[in-house]
Amino acid sequence: MLQKKVCVLGSFGVGKTSLVRRYVESIFSDAYLTTVGVKIDKKTLTVGAETVTIILWDIAGEDEITPIRTSYLRGAAGYFLVVDGTRAETLEVARSIHTRVALEIGPIPFVLLLNKADMQESWDISDQPASALENGAAAILRTSAKTGEGVEEAFQKLAQRIVP
Amino acid sequence: MLNLPPRISDWLLQLVRSQFAVAFLLVDGEQILVSTGGDLENYGLTGLHHRQPACGQLSFLEGLLPLEESPFLIRSLGMPGGRSADVHLLAEEGSTWVVLLDSTTDHDKTQKMQQKAYDMTLLSQREARLIAKLEAAHADLTSAHRELAESREALQRTHDRMQKELRDAERYVRAILPAPMTEPFAVDWLYVPSTELAGDSLGYHWIDSEHFALYLLDVSGHGVGSALLSVAVSQTLRSGALRDADLRLPEEVLGSLNQTYQMELQNNLYFTIWYGVYHPSSGRLRYSCAGHPSAILFSGSSEKNGVSTSLPGAGVPVGMLPNASYDREECTLTPPARLFLFSDGVFEISRPDGSMLEFADFEEALARAASNRKTELDEVLRMARAVHGNSILEDDFSIIKMTI
Repeated sequence: MLQKKVCVLGSFGVGKTSLVRRYVESIFSDAYLTTVGVKIDKKTLTVGAETVTIILWDIAGEDEITPIRTSYLRGAAGYFLVVDGTRAETLEVARSIHTRVALEIGPIPFVLLLNKADMQESWDISDQPASALENGAAAILRTSAKTGEGVEEAFQKLAQRIVP
Repeated sequence: MLNLPPRISDWLLQLVRSQFAVAFLLVDGEQILVSTGGDLENYGLTGLHHRQPACGQLSFLEGLLPLEESPFLIRSLGMPGGRSADVHLLAEEGSTWVVLLDSTTDHDKTQKMQQKAYDMTLLSQREARLIAKLEAAHADLTSAHRELAESREALQRTHDRMQKELRDAERYVRAILPAPMTEPFAVDWLYVPSTELAGDSLGYHWIDSEHFALYLLDVSGHGVGSALLSVAVSQTLRSGALRDADLRLPEEVLGSLNQTYQMELQNNLYFTIWYGVYHPSSGRLRYSCAGHPSAILFSGSSEKNGVSTSLPGAGVPVGMLPNASYDREECTLTPPARLFLFSDGVFEISRPDGSMLEFADFEEALARAASNRKTELDEVLRMARAVHGNSILEDDFSIIKMTI
């Protein structure tokens, strides 16, 4: 069976682990539990006639002291760049990660996720993020790990780009 | 090389094995799992099959082999058994060693510290956003306040300009009112608009050496529109510019005014008027009335109040009906006598409790003032204000007194 490695990247607290849990286990918890290191999950999905197992690398979020290790993306077929729609500063972090990944790993497909779409009243970013991200992204989606909005669609979009 | 004595290196090896639950895997160049050992159970890595593809059994290896960088470390990797491991990958002659060292204790400590740090950071970021929103709201409020102040100033300037224009108009309206006269008989008046400009107007003048006209009119409504019409009518009467009317005949004057000032052409305004012509040598007073309050004639000595007579008329207000006609009434004034013309605003006075002044009380006030040797006009105005409970009356207050 086809296996593809996909990384989940972004600033700390943007909801990366919650998105993975929502997608893999259909679970959501409001409690915030920070990720240390790397968590790996698997999910099998179908793209056209192809069945593919996605190996998800949920990598600890980037903060001011600890940048993400781009070497973890070695062998990745694509990645999710997650932004917290209620914190504009996480979009800047996403831009920075994207630039480093493109430089060190190369131009692999990614999907930009504007997460926490359920918190519309606190929304803090434009629907049209910087063109640098817009142009490179396979898709830009609003997601909510809480309600499930856009989550399934996001994985399908990326899978369609990485499955030959 | 450190060249450690065997005792020390043995001890170190024992320490690492006891504290880090060492386990290892060997993957060959074809990415086949060829060998395993150590405490794999600690990591939940059971049921591994040798001579089978490694990546199918160990997900975290997907995409990493062959190694591009050796050694390669994955810190705090969550393992299937719930433990965390630092995973070291070492290349050796086309094969890859995978060494697992338990890092659960470090992971948990780091997680606690990181959790607190992130919670604090998120809190301070939220606080910063709130402060930014408050500052933005404050800036908006300040801007709105400034705009409001500017609007208020503009409004004040407009108001001041309009007030000035109204005062100019009021001065003009007063300027065209005739001056009080004393010879050969006395005529006096009071004119108090309820707003800056009144719908009332009054006047008197000699038509010729034998005939003296006097009138008082009240245009419906108040303010500028009514004032403009009342001034126009006064000017028409004063200048004698009436079509087909003998100014000495009141019924013709009102009929001509009715033809000239139909309400359809006057912004739906109409007016009431009492118009009289006095012939001093005979004492004859001819008058006509168009919906206006009756004049009051006091005959006899004012000290004894005299005998009051109402001088009514029955016509409809001017401008209401195109074919309206007016009757001429006539009486003779015998000195001493006092004739009062007035608008309804002089006697239709509301009290604070909503009740109205009786007409008889008004008539009584006119009579009483004269017997007390007070000026009737001032006395009636004083009474009206006292009854109303406010110096600003609801309607225009206009009254003429002719004394012979």
